[in-house]
Amino acid sequence: MSNAKRLSLTAYLSLALRNLLRNPRRTGITLATMIFGIATLTLLSALNDGWLEQMRDNFILSFTGHIQIHASGFESSQNLNDHIKAPGEVILLLQDSPEIQGWTQRIRTSGLVSLGGSSAGVQIMATDPEQETWVTHMHRGLKQGRWLNPGTSHDLLLGITVAQNIGAEIGDRIVLMAQRPNGEMVSEIFFLRGILETGAPQIDRTLALIPLNAAQAWFEMGESVTDIVIRASSHENTASLQLQFNRKLSGGGYEILAWQDLDPMVRQWLEFSDAYGLIIILVVVALVLTEILNTMLIALHERQKELGIMIAIGTRKSQIFFMLLIEAVMLILLGGALGYGVGGLLVLHLSDGGIDLSYFANAFKFFYMDPVILPLLTLDSATRILGTTLVAALLAGLYPAWRATKIEISQSLRTF
Amino acid sequence: MIQPDNSSAIITVKKLHKCYWVGSMPFPALNGVNLSIDRGEFAVLAGRSGSGKSTLLNVIGALESADNGEVIVNGENILGMNHTERTLFRLHNIGFVFQSFNLIRVLSARENIAYVCQLQGMDKKESEGIADHWLNEVDMGHLGYRRPDQLSGGQQQRVAVARALATNPKIVLADEPTANLDTQTGQRLMCLLQQLNDKFGTTFLISSHDPDVKNAARRLIKLADGQVVRKWEKIPPAPPPISKACPIKNLPLAGRIRQFLRKKRKRPSKTGEKGPTPRRS
Ligand SMILES: Nc1ncnc2c1ncn2[C@@H]1O[C@H](COP(=O)(O)OP(=O)(O)OP(=O)(O)O)[C@@H](O)[C@H]1O
Ligand SMILES: [Mg+2]
Repeated sequence: MSNAKRLSLTAYLSLALRNLLRNPRRTGITLATMIFGIATLTLLSALNDGWLEQMRDNFILSFTGHIQIHASGFESSQNLNDHIKAPGEVILLLQDSPEIQGWTQRIRTSGLVSLGGSSAGVQIMATDPEQETWVTHMHRGLKQGRWLNPGTSHDLLLGITVAQNIGAEIGDRIVLMAQRPNGEMVSEIFFLRGILETGAPQIDRTLALIPLNAAQAWFEMGESVTDIVIRASSHENTASLQLQFNRKLSGGGYEILAWQDLDPMVRQWLEFSDAYGLIIILVVVALVLTEILNTMLIALHERQKELGIMIAIGTRKSQIFFMLLIEAVMLILLGGALGYGVGGLLVLHLSDGGIDLSYFANAFKFFYMDPVILPLLTLDSATRILGTTLVAALLAGLYPAWRATKIEISQSLRTF
Repeated sequence: MIQPDNSSAIITVKKLHKCYWVGSMPFPALNGVNLSIDRGEFAVLAGRSGSGKSTLLNVIGALESADNGEVIVNGENILGMNHTERTLFRLHNIGFVFQSFNLIRVLSARENIAYVCQLQGMDKKESEGIADHWLNEVDMGHLGYRRPDQLSGGQQQRVAVARALATNPKIVLADEPTANLDTQTGQRLMCLLQQLNDKFGTTFLISSHDPDVKNAARRLIKLADGQVVRKWEKIPPAPPPISKACPIKNLPLAGRIRQFLRKKRKRPSKTGEKGPTPRRS
């Protein structure tokens, strides 16, 4: 009596397929909803990812680098007294590391520029002109003039807004004023050689760039620097590099900060965008889930009698459950694949030229964004989208399948 | 669970009670039914609407439970079974013909029949062979590829009959199988059932209002208010009412088909289906 036989998988698949085709319009509408939902999701998520990556890269490459090494306390004090006295020790660690694409040494301090009657507060940044080009794209922002010459030349580059504010032009003699580590106020004459537009307004408004050696001489700092800035060869290396330096330099009076630590606002903004992306996913997934649930429940209702007959003639409840679940899964897989396919094609199409949002460009600049967003398909987001949709849709399929096993034959057969 | 088969009864119902509850209101449907049906019988349950015919068939067919009493079908105590046991019991012992919506809509006539064979564990090819055989048996061989909605009501019922018999059941339960058919089609269906009963000795228990069905009965059991009121009334075997119009030729195939089925199923026969059952009188 207990010879519980199984239906073959092909029997289930064929039953499920036919049941889906039984009401082609309804199945079509459900599929269309899924395709629309998942394609939209893919596109939005690709835009979000593209935008986040752009923003992150712009932030890292415009100024910050992936990792900065300072003397302990410098990030909060911004005081020249907190400087690295023997940068050679650190630089030894950087050379020949395949995880590092480039590094540079900098001195940062606040100061004043003045030309004629006008002056402006600036962030004086001294860097190795050659090394800097390995780390950031600052040199690409050159609007006028030329890049810094190495050595102790008195070359000066200004952010475009600073230059405009004091009315400076290429070749002008400009007085820089700042404080030495010992507190003494000093001033020096520099020659404006170039004007920079980095795309980040807060930099363009405050930057005064001079050669490292000139600054070291001017501030009487010898070999000392305030920052060693590192660009990792790939973004993913950041965490492991930070860990390495922490280990190797521990106890030497250093602080090792990754880009996220250097601008909490940017990090918060990135985290917010990430959460926002998740919310979009959840909303669309809820939509898809409701749609499948709805279709399956209506189908279940219509087929109540037939399911009752199937149970009466010897179909086990587990078989009914499995049959309906397979129906839902087929619908989900088809809708998911088509939806992701359509979304992927849309992304491919758009990533050719990107989406031009120059109209809002001014608002975006604060967030290190380019006005043209290139959508980006990442494995991460694909897994997230397809995974969430699958799980949700499966849940939406499980419920009606479970409901079907609760069908009372005697009730469903009561024309009987 | 299987009791020694020392009686000829295939269905024994004793003091069967069943009450439906609507909220806290009891609606007694069966009030102590006593009944015994022999192997190979062709019996009709008659009675007014609401007398409990469907309920009784449902309980005997292990579709519904009861409150009290005893129901032994083919040696097994139906009321003591759990859900899965009942499903398997139905699959292997009972063929059902319902009043309507008998067939699975997305499957063709042939697939509908093959489906139950597959439930019994046969592979596709074997199931299809049996389906073809039974389609021919109910004179539907030429329409096997059609879906239910491409068949007339009478044709659908024939397919349902073929499906009911395809699993080689001991008993076929039919609840108002002719109710949705016109008189003539109904008569033809009854004629078919009788012939199958003759040929294969399968026990038939049929509920109906239909006078033609009652005429066809070799035994009439009348229910009223959930009780058998005319117990064991046997009416003399009427000749098949429209035997000349019967679409089924009385093929001398009976023995061959049974052999074929026995070989196909390779299931030990515990029903005593030993050759053609002599027609009861
Ligand atoms: N699900 C139910 N809930 C409540 N009462 C029910 C239910 N099913 C049947 N009944 C009642 O049980 C009694 C027997 O019903 P049953 O369907 O067995 O009658 P029947 O003889 O088959 O009638 P008919 O000839 O109309 O089909 C009736 O009084 C009916 O109202
Ligand atoms: Mg009834």
